Amino acid sequence: MPVVTPLLAAIIFGAGVVSGGFGALLGIGGGVFLVPFLNLGLSFPFPVAAAISLTTVIATSSSVSAERSGKHLINLRLGMLLEVATAAGSLLGGITAQLVAPAILQKLFGIVAAMVSVFMVGRVNRRNVILDPSVDSGVLGGRFYEEESGATVTYRIKRLPAALIASFAAGNMSSLLGVGGGVIKVPVLNAWCGVPVRAAAATSAFMIGVTATAGAVIYYGRGQLAPALAAAAVLGVQLGSWGGMHVGRRTSAKWLKLLMAGVLFIVAVLMFARSR
Amino acid sequence: MTREADSDRLEHAIGIALRLGVTTSSICLAAGLVATFVGMSGAADLLLQTGVIILLTTPVARVLISIIEYVRERDWTFVALTAIVLVELMASAVAALVFNRRV
Repeated sequence: MPVVTPLLAAIIFGAGVVSGGFGALLGIGGGVFLVPFLNLGLSFPFPVAAAISLTTVIATSSSVSAERSGKHLINLRLGMLLEVATAAGSLLGGITAQLVAPAILQKLFGIVAAMVSVFMVGRVNRRNVILDPSVDSGVLGGRFYEEESGATVTYRIKRLPAALIASFAAGNMSSLLGVGGGVIKVPVLNAWCGVPVRAAAATSAFMIGVTATAGAVIYYGRGQLAPALAAAAVLGVQLGSWGGMHVGRRTSAKWLKLLMAGVLFIVAVLMFARSR
Repeated sequence: MTREADSDRLEHAIGIALRLGVTTSSICLAAGLVATFVGMSGAADLLLQTGVIILLTTPVARVLISIIEYVRERDWTFVALTAIVLVELMASAVAALVFNRRV
């Protein structure tokens, strides 16, 4: 376990601000930045880095979702249905993380992230929107007011099994690697299941709290969570995600998708680099 | 009650719970961090652990609120789904205890 000094706490706080900012912008927990920083940059053992990252993912999910509640951006029903799959994946991932070396899964994650990244770039100009607001959104679909276009957006859910499988995989990756899992869920929900990118990001960010908790509890019980360092990271991420939310309101959906694709590509490279 | 009005109430309740959980845990964690560096290790440990536990129970509380709300709406499909999520969270706590014992 790393020795806690004021300097180390300050560095982790700073890293939290940066990853929290990007996390809020992209609807991902921000763990994709924090885990490589702690693991590769500060040479923390992988489980210690993952455990710290998961606590920040929970904090981001909670504060971002609290901020967004009442705007209908979060699809509660879809989120709660997919949580059944994501929590199962997370539970299984948390157990396997204690038993196997994650090198093979990191490689797999790298491949998946790279594939989804390419897929996102190809779909940048496609919009999953039914323009007639009187159209029925179905049991799981949703309706929200989009500030950017000034219109009410209605959507239906397509290919639910794909969303369930992606959620299970995301939960699994979340516990194993200490990331939120939004990198898998948001593109699948957006590109395959008909959910507009903002609603997909909000719903994913909402689910991530439960996902990360199922994983974090196992690391915590195992004594792999350094509370003081988690505190520094959580507080930094809180500040960063607050900033990211305010920038996010002025960022267009197209740029959000391109930024997401870029982030996914970097994640893929990092995963491969780390799995050697 | 229409489905949208029900959904509004649930979203509002969840928003409050999440805000409350994340604020209290952040205050505990910040105080704990300060206590660590001024050398009050006993208080620091208590505050940090409390902060972490509040953070970890916030999503669990949110799932509990959802179950209660769906029971009130008599939406049994979603009562069942959210109950499964709660069981999965409990199972991870059990797994944590099992691993802890084996170390």
